[in-house]
Amino acid sequence: MSTRTLTIIGFVLVIAAMFLLEFLARRPGSRIPTVGQWLGYLMRPRIGRVLILLGWWWLGWHYFAR
Amino acid sequence: MATDDVSRPPDRLGHRSSLPPWLGRRGNRVRTAAVAIGLAVYAWMAGSAPPFSTAALVMVLIPGVVLAVIAYGWPPERIPAPDKPDITGVFWWVIAVAALFEWEASAYKDNSLPWHPSLTDLINPMLGPHIVKSAAILLWILVGWALVRR
Repeated sequence: MSTRTLTIIGFVLVIAAMFLLEFLARRPGSRIPTVGQWLGYLMRPRIGRVLILLGWWWLGWHYFAR
Repeated sequence: MATDDVSRPPDRLGHRSSLPPWLGRRGNRVRTAAVAIGLAVYAWMAGSAPPFSTAALVMVLIPGVVLAVIAYGWPPERIPAPDKPDITGVFWWVIAVAALFEWEASAYKDNSLPWHPSLTDLINPMLGPHIVKSAAILLWILVGWALVRR
């Protein structure tokens, strides 16, 4: 197995784990917050809101404008 | 308080005006459909802009500016955030996000060589087809709107 394949498998595993966490978070009575809930918590203070929205915009610039 | 700017649910159109409720719902559906078509057309146009061009930059700037203006000037009804999320549950997310950043940082540190590519190097070729790039832009705009509502 090449190093490139190992790198890709690493990314796939981490992203799959995030989807799994989101799935588990949506079960009734789950203690795990959904992405929306923990992002919402981070966005309660104004600075958190600004930083998260800037991060969102940066992703768009990084992938779609470059 | 941090949540002071969370707006209260507005009245629905049908209840606020003298229009019958079914007409208000129909108006909302028409408005939603118009916005969806507009966003799809915008994403299609943005997807056709060549990389590193002024057009591509402007196409990314516009949604950012529009959402920033909406978030600041006319904030929509926000979904209340939890007062204090469960720390154990949050920790699982911290592990996952940290792992993603570590994996990406290790690729970036190695100059994204072909045998250790960064996430950007893996995603960029996937965004080659126009329809995929446009769909990704549409998804990005929708995520931005979801964030503004948080």
